[in-house]
Amino acid sequence: MADLTRHTTSDDSATADSPLNTHAEAHETGALHGVSRREFLVRSVLTSAGVMLGIAVGPGRPTPASAAEAEGMESFTPSIWFTITPDGKTTVHVVKAEMGQHIGTGLAQIIGEELEVKWDDVRLDTPLESVENFAVYGLAYTVNSGSVTTEFDRLSRAGAAGRIALVEAGAKLLNADLADCYAQESRVVDRVSGRSIGYGEILQKTKIDRKFAYPEDFKSIPLKPRGQYTLIGKSVPAFDIPPKTNGQAKYGIDVFLPNMVYGALVIPRTRYASKVKSVDDGEARKIPGFVKAVVVDDSMGKCTGWVVALAEKFPAALKAAKALTVQWDAGPYAAVSSADLAREYKRMAQDTGASAAWVLEGNVEQALGQADQVLEMEYTTDMICHATMEPLNATVQEVDGAWHVHVGTQSTSFARMTLTAYLAKILGKKPEELKVYVHQHILGGGFGGKQDYDEILAAAYCAKEAGRPVKLIQTRESNFATAFPRTPTFHKLRAGLKGGQLTAMNHDIVCGWMAPRFSVGKKYGTDWLQQDAVDGTKRDIDQWSIGGSDHWYSMPSHRVRAWNHDQTTWAVQASALRTVSNSYNMFVVESFMDEVAHALGRDPLEFRLSNLSGKGSSRGIPNTGYPAGTPSDYYMDQLWISLPWPQPGTWVPYESTTVGGALRLANCLRVAAGKAGYGSKQLPPNTGMGLAVSSAEERQSPTWVACVAEVTVEPASGKYRINRLTIAMDPGIAVNPKNIESQIQASALWGASQILSERLTIKDGAFEQTNFNQYVTIRLSQVPKIDVEIIPSGRHPSGVGEPASTVVAPAVANAIFKAVGVRVRHMPISAEAVLEGLKKKA
Amino acid sequence: MPQLTINGQSYFTDSPPDTPLLWAIREDLRLTGTKYGCGVALCGACTVHINGQALRSCQVNLGDVPPGALITTIEGLDPANDHAVQQAWIEHQVPQCGYCQSGQIMQAAAFLARNPSPTDDQIVAAMDGNLCRCATYARMVPAIRRAAEIMREGAKNG
Repeated sequence: MADLTRHTTSDDSATADSPLNTHAEAHETGALHGVSRREFLVRSVLTSAGVMLGIAVGPGRPTPASAAEAEGMESFTPSIWFTITPDGKTTVHVVKAEMGQHIGTGLAQIIGEELEVKWDDVRLDTPLESVENFAVYGLAYTVNSGSVTTEFDRLSRAGAAGRIALVEAGAKLLNADLADCYAQESRVVDRVSGRSIGYGEILQKTKIDRKFAYPEDFKSIPLKPRGQYTLIGKSVPAFDIPPKTNGQAKYGIDVFLPNMVYGALVIPRTRYASKVKSVDDGEARKIPGFVKAVVVDDSMGKCTGWVVALAEKFPAALKAAKALTVQWDAGPYAAVSSADLAREYKRMAQDTGASAAWVLEGNVEQALGQADQVLEMEYTTDMICHATMEPLNATVQEVDGAWHVHVGTQSTSFARMTLTAYLAKILGKKPEELKVYVHQHILGGGFGGKQDYDEILAAAYCAKEAGRPVKLIQTRESNFATAFPRTPTFHKLRAGLKGGQLTAMNHDIVCGWMAPRFSVGKKYGTDWLQQDAVDGTKRDIDQWSIGGSDHWYSMPSHRVRAWNHDQTTWAVQASALRTVSNSYNMFVVESFMDEVAHALGRDPLEFRLSNLSGKGSSRGIPNTGYPAGTPSDYYMDQLWISLPWPQPGTWVPYESTTVGGALRLANCLRVAAGKAGYGSKQLPPNTGMGLAVSSAEERQSPTWVACVAEVTVEPASGKYRINRLTIAMDPGIAVNPKNIESQIQASALWGASQILSERLTIKDGAFEQTNFNQYVTIRLSQVPKIDVEIIPSGRHPSGVGEPASTVVAPAVANAIFKAVGVRVRHMPISAEAVLEGLKKKA
Repeated sequence: MPQLTINGQSYFTDSPPDTPLLWAIREDLRLTGTKYGCGVALCGACTVHINGQALRSCQVNLGDVPPGALITTIEGLDPANDHAVQQAWIEHQVPQCGYCQSGQIMQAAAFLARNPSPTDDQIVAAMDGNLCRCATYARMVPAIRRAAEIMREGAKNG
């Protein structure tokens, strides 16, 4: 496990500009309390709105300014996970971003299960992000499909604590023996007399003040046996859907503030590090409603080369942005092109001495030397980008020195911290003198693409320059031009085959790492988030760029080596895109495993199953996963759960989702293969079935998923059609099966879109694609039949929003090979590439 | 000053005639259910009905809106979510992020108004111009089939 204490001694000279540096700040905020023993409180308090039952962790926490405080009420304690009001309603406070995963509904189900609340009484809200609320709610950050996994246990306990306190209070009011009372449907019931009292009535009649020592009592709260769930496992409809079918849902782009002006971006000369030399607004000034052109301060390395046209209306801002004549110094990346990067990666991979090993099991070189045959292949993948349907936007207003941000973002916390650092710089103030509030809205798509904050910084800068609130909206074109894409990659693989078996695999990966851009690594003082090379060099490894290559197949020798192409990181602003590196590494690993199977003359299903045996281990985790009951050691928990609870070990551990390991993955594969009729179904000509498995997101946080793709190739053109996808997933406890099915269906199509057509390229330092005619995503007419099988193994729940997106591309590539014998080692797979393969074969 | 009839109400906007209807609806009239996605009719997020026809509001300038035209936006389809397409969308839990769904629903509603008993191929052809980046597509065809059924039931009962 990463050393969590290292952050407190991190290098002070590290720049304070990046979100992940603010992680360190965040830890320290928590550490200030210095409370080793905490209490978990269930307390009802009188507020102007009436009596509320709140759940809190205290003491020693700063209290948000509240109506109650203002009115001089005593003993107000902030509620953090939910609040019950005297009308009997339960409001669940959701700090996770709603971006299509319906997360609030799932989290409310988890609380509601133990709280024994009537589902109709449940509603959701989203707390404001501020310094004060951060100390209460912790880090608001939604990534890695981690919300249910990391929240499940503590929300269950919070719900149970609330129920215990209510049953105790209800028993007193009913004059009943506590032992005779239980909770059901928002009521406390005395099983002897049959009388009952509602949660709301309890709050009207009595004051609750129940303490649980944290973490001791909290840990020992008995939870329901999993077989007795009534709300978890039920496909309740998502709260956020009805407002999305009648136009009432409010996204960041739907915000209006009095007296605001609109901002439109002039597309900079390059993706990164252009410098504005001059702006001529002569033509723009002729446009009615034009306010001014603002050269955005880019001294923090964000919004580089940005000029924003401000106008009274957005169409006028668009016209003005076009009318401005801007001169740039094109900067250090002005010559970067995709074709050059591909050549450079291949050259780099020859310098094995400069690599950092990520996986090192057995002795790869020796095993390759002793092999009967060595299979050696190169794979490449293009960039893709998030292209969320809601383009990035932000609305910022300064009111009496307080800065209010209205946005839909994956992290309101990092948005606040990043803007605070930026404002401190441009206003010449200390961060603690600044007040920044982030008002969260639902996101029109996220996929990892809403965890950068450039629009917020630019809108704030423009608001300062204009002295008015500013709503900055990226056009589709400027959104593509300023994309944060998945890095291009190069892979060289070697497999040792001996006696009909795979004895060794070496996987070399060159790409642009994203970690440096998030200031993660030794240079930046946030090294604790990542692990070092395992080859003795202690070099940095960016697991977000390499992960997935540490797969669950058993083989005597396995090595993964990695190289960072630093120019790529900055020139394209490499970033996290749905499943991060799994999104390319699964394509490569699963395509190559297929090649190995065919080279050995073995069926890909039989070959995979025999290698998903659970034998051996990788990166310290057995291939069967940790033994049942082992607490999770997922390093990201330290971000989500510890903040602002600073001490390692104070959070309640939950069972690692690695438990079962390759055996659960093999089971998914058997289920998918069986359901698809793999090996038995009669197929039309030029049609094949391809297989793939995946354990995204990371080795410490896997979700088990397998896919069978049935694909037909048209030999004359190389065009191919995905007929059917069969997907089996074992997510552990299935909190909301119908939603899980929806997430699997849609993420599978995200994967299909990647292999079919998505492709972003860079030329002369700028992205070439400008809109959806050039950046082509899947449409309804390309959608195959999708069969989904959810395998509820009863294990701790793992994320479902992403993993299925990783299996489709390799399954399709393998199906194309099965159909017509053509192996395409590049993603996306174009019809031209298949046709070329067919010609070569003939 | 251009006058627009939207969802049965009269609106006035001071935007010039070359303003795309999309921006007038969203930013002047604050009917924000209609979404900006691409600005060039590639995605369908801005779909509204003009005299019953599904059109991309990013491609219709204020000056091109026929006088007296009846415009319907998602807010006017049925605020209570009782339109057959909305009912089916909720029943099948189609939306994920939801951003494109106003356009999807408006496209489907206009289509079903003209073709109450479509084949699956007709549904796909009618909906192929509407992008969904979450790729909730798998539920759309069944939902439109269901909406057609609800409409037929309604016609029978009504």
